Amino acid sequence: MALTIFLVMIVLLLMGFPMMIPLLIGAFIGVVSLFGDIAKTEFVVQQMLGGIRPASLIAVPMFILAADIMTRGHSADRLIDMVMAFVRHIKGGLAVSTSSACALFGAVSGSTQATVVAVGGPLRPRMLKGGYKDSFVLALIVNSSDIAFLIPPSIGMIIYGVVSKSSIPELFVAGIGPGLLILFLFSIYSMIYATVKGVPTEAAASWGERFTTVKRALWPLGFPVIIIGGIFGGIFSPTEAAAVSVLYALLLETLIFRSITFKDFYSIAKSTGLVTGVVFILVGAGAAFAWVLSFAQIPQAILATIGINEMGQIGVLFVIAIAFFIGCMFVDPIVVILILVPIFAPVIKSTGLDPVLVGTLITLQAAIGSATPPFGCDIFTAVAVFKVPYIEVVRGTPPFVVILLCVAVLMIFFPQIALFLRDVAFPR
Amino acid sequence: MSETKNSSRGIAGILDAFDGFIARIEEFMMATGVILMAVNTIANVISRFIFNHSIIFAEELNSVFILLVTFAGVGYAARHGRHIRMSAIYDSMSDRKRKLMMILITAVTAVCMLFLAYFSVQYIIDLQSKGRVMPALGVPIYLVYLWVPIGFFVTGIQYALTMVKNIREKEIYLSTNLHEHEAQEIEV
Repeated sequence: MALTIFLVMIVLLLMGFPMMIPLLIGAFIGVVSLFGDIAKTEFVVQQMLGGIRPASLIAVPMFILAADIMTRGHSADRLIDMVMAFVRHIKGGLAVSTSSACALFGAVSGSTQATVVAVGGPLRPRMLKGGYKDSFVLALIVNSSDIAFLIPPSIGMIIYGVVSKSSIPELFVAGIGPGLLILFLFSIYSMIYATVKGVPTEAAASWGERFTTVKRALWPLGFPVIIIGGIFGGIFSPTEAAAVSVLYALLLETLIFRSITFKDFYSIAKSTGLVTGVVFILVGAGAAFAWVLSFAQIPQAILATIGINEMGQIGVLFVIAIAFFIGCMFVDPIVVILILVPIFAPVIKSTGLDPVLVGTLITLQAAIGSATPPFGCDIFTAVAVFKVPYIEVVRGTPPFVVILLCVAVLMIFFPQIALFLRDVAFPR
Repeated sequence: MSETKNSSRGIAGILDAFDGFIARIEEFMMATGVILMAVNTIANVISRFIFNHSIIFAEELNSVFILLVTFAGVGYAARHGRHIRMSAIYDSMSDRKRKLMMILITAVTAVCMLFLAYFSVQYIIDLQSKGRVMPALGVPIYLVYLWVPIGFFVTGIQYALTMVKNIREKEIYLSTNLHEHEAQEIEV
């Protein structure tokens, strides 16, 4: 049965069906072969609704809403200006600024796509003017925006947390270390690239200019304070932090920056609602599918076939990392998390792996996979946003993917990269 | 859009008007659902800080709102061809194959959605007979879920209409009002 389900799903997926359909049909086949009665499809509905209901999932639409508000407003520009004023004069400064601005906006918005639009949009023309090749610029923007997936708030982590029933605040804090490490390595690569290619260096900003840009960026810098500070300090749950950042974004952009009106807010809420609907129907369908899987004990069967029980913790982490990397090369990371997390759940439990470490590794792999050809979904975001050919986006990617894979391997052997801050924030 | 004008007489006109009306309801549900979720969650935070206790029904309200938003959004996304799909292989096919494929995709999707609409009605009938209520709000659960079959049904009809449109017309449509060539422009 398992084989039939997976084959049908893969075929439907590759044929271009909306992604909820393979999940649903997988669940239908499972129900019919388990119970021999199509009327039991009622269970699928029940599981879908149960999958959508968890209170912590409300953080997802809230963070999307906050990101949507900021993408249309001035927050991103102000953050970019500040980062630029401090680092643009070093070798490869524009590239380092772009990378840092992506990470910083990731700490504000939590959405990879919002980061590509809000940071990549204004910075790509500046980098091209600064003498960088477009293939490098596009690869840098796409891969740096993926840091947003790791740095809190992270939508992927919220969904992993709900599916695996692990602590979302702990996941958030654990994402910071690897996120910063990636930023650091990307910066080094940018400097080497600029030196080798002889990209001219920008003029340094005066301290006066730096001071002005910091002052202008103070308001947007309140977001990480609310989100990371609030969750670190145990003041807010992730959902509450998300709602408070919506309020903050709204007040900032309407009253202080005056970049959007309350009327715009309605249409922003509409587009958030649309994205929420698209994501949540997948979450629901994924929950129904996961229920069928676990009811039929399929995960145990699959994992036993590949002999995972004899692999030890490191081996298991490698298998998980590879599975997620390959999965995300083909489909949306959220779908991969929904399908694969329930499959690996039993082995994570039996080997005694820290679910927070696994979640951070999975989020990293999801980020890498979505920027990797052939079908990584971020590549298509860049194609759509910048209106450039697919091959142009892909050409500069390999060095970044190599760096990211190194970080993944480092994290498997030195879990402290992720867990150090977690242990500081949440002492056992 | 000229297409719509020509046929906006008689039954087709009424259907168009009705379709427009449904689209407006979906938009309204999506936007207000999201806004109410934000208001409700913020109110809960404020209440906890000022009055030192949480609003007991805040979580239940949010679960109602998320249902509204999700099942309005599913229909709206179907109407505008915005459901996530992996189109790389599909895009590389010839026009004729793509058209056949789109007819197949919309047909299967429509059947799945109508199937789910039917079974969610069964589920609701089940829930109603058990008489379960939401503990804090005191509202019967089946009332809240009534929106679910409507969402599935509207989505199923959208896909069915897209299928019909693909059969009847020369071009390829991703949804009833989204022509394939326009899709690349908005796909984010």
